[in-house]
Amino acid sequence: MSAPSGPLMPHLIALPVLLPLVAAALLLLIHESRHRVKAAVGIAATIGNLVVATTLLVIVNAGGGPVAIGIYLPSNWAAPFGIVLAVDRVTSLMLVLTGVVSVAAALFSAGRWHRAGVHYHTLFQIQLVGVNGAFLTGDLFNLFVFFEVMLAASYGLLLHGSGTLRVRAGLKYIAFNLLASSLLLVGIAILYGVTGTLNFADIAQKIPQIPPSDRGLLHAGAAILGVAVLAKAAMWPLNFWLAAAYSAAAAPVAAVFVILTKVGVYTMLRLWTLLLSTEPGASVPFGSDALIVGGLATLFFGAIGMLASQQLRRVAGYSMIISSGTSLAVIGVGDETLIGAALFYLVGSTLASCALYLLAELIERSRAIDAAPPIREHESDRLPFRLETRDRFAEGADDEGRPGTAIPAATSFLGLSFVACALMIAGLPPLSGFVAKFAMLGALLDPATGSPTTYVAMAAMRTTLLVSLLASGLLSTIALTRAGLRHFWAPHERAPPRLRLVECAPVAALLMICASLAVYADPALRYSREAAQGLVDPARYIDSVMSATVVPAPSASRIPTSAAR
Amino acid sequence: MSLALLLALPFIGSVIAALLPSNARNAESTWSAAIAAAALVRVAVMFPQVRDGGVVREQIAWMPSAGLDLTIRVDGFAWMFAMLVTGIGFLVILYSRYYMSPSDPVPRFFAFLLAFMGAMLGLVTSGNLIQLVFFWELTSLTSFMLIGYWHHRADARRGARMALLVTAAGGLCLFGGALLIGRIVGSYDLDVVLGAGAQLRADPLYRPLLALVLIGAFTKSAQFPFQFWLPHAMAAPTPVSAYLHSATMVKAGVFVLARLWPVLSGTPEWFWIVGGAGLCTLLIGAYAAMFQRDLKGLLAYSTISHLGLITLLLGLDSPLAAVAAVFHIINHATFKAALFMAAGVIDHETGTRDILRLNGLFKAMPITATLAMVASAAMAGVPLLNGFLSKEMFFAETVYIASNPWVEWGLPIAATIAGIFAVVYALRFSVDIFFGEPSSDLPRKPHEPSRWMRVPIELLVLACLVVGIFPAQSIGPVLAAAANPVVGGDLPDYDLALWHGVNAPLVMSVLAMIGGALCYAWLRRQLARGRFRRAPLVGRLDGKSAFESLLARSSLVARHALEFFGTRRLQPQLFLLALLAVLAPTASMWAEGIGWGPRPRVPASPEVVAISVIGIVCAIAATWQSKYHRLAALTMLGVVGLVVCLTFVWFSAPDLALTQLVVEVVTLVLFLLGLRWLPKRAVPDDPHTPLHIRIRRARDLVLALVAGAGMAALSYAMLTRPAPQSISPFFLDQAVPGGGGANVINVMLVDFRAFDTLGEITVLGVVALTVYALLRRFRPPRESARLPRQQNASQGVATDLVHPRTTPDTLPGYMLVPAVLIRWLLPVAGMIAAYLFLRGHNEPGGGFVAGLVVAIAIVTQYLVAGAQWVEARIELNPLRWIALGLLAAVGTGAGAIVVGYPFMTTHTAHIDVPGLGVVHVPSALFLDTGIFAVVVGSTLLTLIALAHQSLRGRRLAAQDADEASAH
Amino acid sequence: MALAIGVLTSCGVWLVLRPRTFQVLMGLALLAYGVNLFIFSMGSLSVGAEPIIRAGVPPDLLHYTDPLPQALVLTAIVISFATTALFLVVLLASRGLTDSDHVDGEEERP
Repeated sequence: MSAPSGPLMPHLIALPVLLPLVAAALLLLIHESRHRVKAAVGIAATIGNLVVATTLLVIVNAGGGPVAIGIYLPSNWAAPFGIVLAVDRVTSLMLVLTGVVSVAAALFSAGRWHRAGVHYHTLFQIQLVGVNGAFLTGDLFNLFVFFEVMLAASYGLLLHGSGTLRVRAGLKYIAFNLLASSLLLVGIAILYGVTGTLNFADIAQKIPQIPPSDRGLLHAGAAILGVAVLAKAAMWPLNFWLAAAYSAAAAPVAAVFVILTKVGVYTMLRLWTLLLSTEPGASVPFGSDALIVGGLATLFFGAIGMLASQQLRRVAGYSMIISSGTSLAVIGVGDETLIGAALFYLVGSTLASCALYLLAELIERSRAIDAAPPIREHESDRLPFRLETRDRFAEGADDEGRPGTAIPAATSFLGLSFVACALMIAGLPPLSGFVAKFAMLGALLDPATGSPTTYVAMAAMRTTLLVSLLASGLLSTIALTRAGLRHFWAPHERAPPRLRLVECAPVAALLMICASLAVYADPALRYSREAAQGLVDPARYIDSVMSATVVPAPSASRIPTSAAR
Repeated sequence: MSLALLLALPFIGSVIAALLPSNARNAESTWSAAIAAAALVRVAVMFPQVRDGGVVREQIAWMPSAGLDLTIRVDGFAWMFAMLVTGIGFLVILYSRYYMSPSDPVPRFFAFLLAFMGAMLGLVTSGNLIQLVFFWELTSLTSFMLIGYWHHRADARRGARMALLVTAAGGLCLFGGALLIGRIVGSYDLDVVLGAGAQLRADPLYRPLLALVLIGAFTKSAQFPFQFWLPHAMAAPTPVSAYLHSATMVKAGVFVLARLWPVLSGTPEWFWIVGGAGLCTLLIGAYAAMFQRDLKGLLAYSTISHLGLITLLLGLDSPLAAVAAVFHIINHATFKAALFMAAGVIDHETGTRDILRLNGLFKAMPITATLAMVASAAMAGVPLLNGFLSKEMFFAETVYIASNPWVEWGLPIAATIAGIFAVVYALRFSVDIFFGEPSSDLPRKPHEPSRWMRVPIELLVLACLVVGIFPAQSIGPVLAAAANPVVGGDLPDYDLALWHGVNAPLVMSVLAMIGGALCYAWLRRQLARGRFRRAPLVGRLDGKSAFESLLARSSLVARHALEFFGTRRLQPQLFLLALLAVLAPTASMWAEGIGWGPRPRVPASPEVVAISVIGIVCAIAATWQSKYHRLAALTMLGVVGLVVCLTFVWFSAPDLALTQLVVEVVTLVLFLLGLRWLPKRAVPDDPHTPLHIRIRRARDLVLALVAGAGMAALSYAMLTRPAPQSISPFFLDQAVPGGGGANVINVMLVDFRAFDTLGEITVLGVVALTVYALLRRFRPPRESARLPRQQNASQGVATDLVHPRTTPDTLPGYMLVPAVLIRWLLPVAGMIAAYLFLRGHNEPGGGFVAGLVVAIAIVTQYLVAGAQWVEARIELNPLRWIALGLLAAVGTGAGAIVVGYPFMTTHTAHIDVPGLGVVHVPSALFLDTGIFAVVVGSTLLTLIALAHQSLRGRRLAAQDADEASAH
Repeated sequence: MALAIGVLTSCGVWLVLRPRTFQVLMGLALLAYGVNLFIFSMGSLSVGAEPIIRAGVPPDLLHYTDPLPQALVLTAIVISFATTALFLVVLLASRGLTDSDHVDGEEERP
């Protein structure tokens, strides 16, 4: 661990993975009938996770230097032999983002959703394990493992509450992702076969020494890997599952899923900048223009989808697709300032989509259009021994019947939050969406960023991207206006919706963060710029990963392995 | 107070106004008025600082790293606009106190009104372009809210949406333009930009830039061809129209034009585009205004035409014209606001705005009538009123312009015609409604409005008169201060006098007056005959419906496009994924190609060949059978698994073989349990499949073959390459000393890559939980809810020693002997498991395999003895197993932390067990324990949850029977 | 060996592209076999090499099998087993809820 100090600090890096895992295990021990305890534990764990992530961010940022980075070696074997956890600015940013979103979702689900089925909170925690692990790890196969953890948990959460709709959507989602995962494995295997190692940094080091005869294989592996990751990052035409699956999921679940596509984007960013940056001239622009084109296609697909969809959840889903498309295209262009701006944008859009999912639930509930009601179980359904737990949700303990404590001016709250989400997504002032858009467009136009570190200074691409960003903004404005009119201004007499504070607070909090992002745009942008800097020249990352030393062993029970390099 | 505070004031006020109770009309209006008044005063006192070219700046750091700060910059022009915004805002608030009905939720109204005021202030005082765009969009949003204030009315919704979309789109264009300017000049700061006029005009990007900025400006101030949204925005409450659509928001466009006048003007593009658009708008607006029936509609179109006049003046490229434009901005604001308010009064008191129904109101409301008539006279440009002066200047400009003859002749004529139109609609506004036979069929009995409702109008009209009569004394200095920055510092000499002697402009004015009067007399008769229900020619081209249909079509197109570009069905998605997975590598490999390495081939011994052939055959067979004969397919699959397992053995990977074997068994059991709930597929009766299906099959087949070939090629290429400079030797090297185990693979799992293993068991656990959660809600297919035939048959058999025949268990009666035998199997299995578990670290085996073995043993009990029998005897809680296992695993890792090592570091203790000798117990052993527990737990959970479906199925069947008997 | 992998893969892909859930399930299983073998084949295959460390045998890839891919395969086997099980159950649930074993939960309309 380079920058920070303190005896417990290095272990802090592993904590985002371990804390939720332990929480999940504990949650399993609590009997299913005690919803409140479970909810309390789960929420506490998420908040703790957020705290840890924030501390990491602060420490890493305080670490100073262009690329502040922390390394952790589980099982104490030096890279590339052991597995490496690395946290730099981007990682910690993503961790914090995950933390925020998950806290919001956990709180929201405490309203009613966590009763819709068993083991909700456990699955939720394990989802966190997977996401954080995928962000943290510096090892290819470990990445796969955490992807699987993440996905397995997401299958569980998606099916949470069962119902025809969810099962149908879940089937597709699972099948698609299983195929993608096997692709991921193949890609990893090829990369290992070619480079003989699994560690990101080590691969990046070895790639220049690859004999030209193997370069084809290398690229094949990279391509397969890319396809698999892009499928997770929801790039067109691999993103048709997204809108359907997410709109079928329970609201808080969908809100957490918002982060999943970002995992894909992050992985893309990490691997791209890391693995391909060190390649010798011949194959430097490898796939980058494909990435840009794909990103643009995704962008337009998202815009079209938004325009075409009536249901708020679907609108939210397509807004996510738009944001991934933007990010992917930007990664393809690969300027430092641009990526920095895109990171800023990514944060904002993620929060907005998350808030929109939660909001959609509230709004549609207030219009008495509820998602598929849970199936009633046969009274005689008994599962063996202590597995046996009654299902509260099916016993009508759900909250439609019982009036929730209505917060005052519910409708206007919903309206204002919706407007805020719309502004964020469409990139209109005064929220941070506008700032992000401005930053990106400015970076696109700025001739100074066409620096040699980027792959190609592609003027035409830049212009296209610029125009399509503006156009997508307009299209989403149209779509969101229509949705807003339909849901808020259309004259239908209905009682003001009854909302519960625990459900409104997360939404409000998320939007507050968006607003404050606009106010404190400068520090945020600077941070993301520095993060992007760390991505664009990964030398420092590689060095600090490879030079991380193990804790020397005092006893003879093992020999210090740092000598083994 | 500081400028920033001035800017913040309206927003703060709006928040507070929103929080006030919804029935407190007075409180809200007073509060808002106070806010507006404060802002007005604050702005007014700035006059000395700005009167002669002074500029007041205030900067707040916002995003210095992005070269963007919050700059408040007030020069004469901005000051003049700020005065308009705050002053008229104040009057409008006063007015709307009496206009709004008590039933309306006023907090929202005043909140948005104040917010709009703030946005407008920010717009006019913004010192850099991005900030300007920022507030520009804010004005669009707040105006959206205000226009849609009565959102229960469809026209309000439509009008609001149209206004928002048109202006917001324009805002995006302006955004682009601002970015371009910033890119060329290198800064967004207004002062820098204003200094870089020549550079901008010379830049190759000048034209796109100009186009973007102009689109922005034209959409905002309703210039041709974007004028259509303004009349529909009249669905807003009248105060809003008076404020937004006369004085302030629609002026934002011309504001930007005037702001950038020194920079962008002076080129032919500017002249032709701006001037042309202005002229068209002037004429079309005035022409359409003549035929309106709705008071507000008339005013709206006249506003459009006046805005066109201003734009035309700005387009004329002469400083004097620019001055005239500024002057007319002021004048138009005053009289048009007054007129809107008057219209509001009439609407409010009579209940209608239909000019044809309104007649002879003069008797009913003489004061209002007088005010309205004076104001409309100003609109028409009657002498002694402010409208006259600016119109004179406009005429003068059109006359003295130096350009090609067409323009020199055409422009004055067009101007005169516009003047005539103006007189006509002014007359219609005044004469038509105030004189003649008092109309009797009005919804309400007309009378004078309350005193304070008139005050704003009176003030504004007074302003018209004062300016009209003593221009130089009253408005002169203000105009000078305001026009100075627009023309870029050097003010041309002009004199604001009433009488310039008889000259061309005067003649044109007189012509306009007379022509207007005649034209009106004629038109009035026509209208009285009920002709010209809508304006001829231009009335037909209706921007609104075009816009609406465009929107509708866009969403329709989008829906089609979505169906075209996307799909909800799974197969195409998988196909695309596989396709890309094949294409991408091929494409990327194309450059280098792929070659076989020189590594010596492993001699293909007959066994290998035999094994692989069996495997291949079985795989194909499984594929073949899997549609209708699932059991057969399953068996084949099992064989394939065994073959894979053998392959592992052959290539000396005993651990893999072992694991594969047990996993095979479990998977098989699982599938068998599952199959029971998958009803038999009936073979389709029609043998010939439709064509598209066959095509798709062929397509898929090709893809599949290609994919297989690709994989084969890849793996062959890999196989034939010499081993890379792998990191593996290190593991071999370190296994015993570092990991304390001879079985490298196991060491790797529990030590080198323990983190992977952690994740792996997590996956297992999660899956088990999901399966369980899902199966709780499981509903078996109807046809398979019935008991299988065998079980029905076995009902009669009465030879179960364990239970009486009343057992409700799955398999009563038969399979007795195996049951008894199997019961003895459990301990044996336990022994085996323990053995595998303990030797795991040095020999093939380990926690995973052990766990599976135990699980299999228990499941076998289930199979032969039946669930309830087992559960009656063994007390199991898989959930607890999983939880404890995970905890054990994490705990092991945490132990290392306690000792001060990173997570998961292993240590080895050597314990001297009497009799066994020295056994070395690595901490990994505990990790293995955790793995063991998790595996047992999750496997059992999955299998049992599935197995219990049969019990449930029996119950369902019973219930169905009951229901059947009940009926 | 390569041939076997190829055949497994193509069978898997073909099945995965079929409309029936059970076929997809089988396809994924076969695919899993193929992929596992593929990873396994990444390590330099050798017949009769030592998997277990024996004293006196120099620790290098000539005398031992490459342990890393085996470890990976081990993990992969487990994970694929888990996911297959999950898919099976989801398949059953979908069959139960939608009364159709088409992957889209409903027969496609021509």
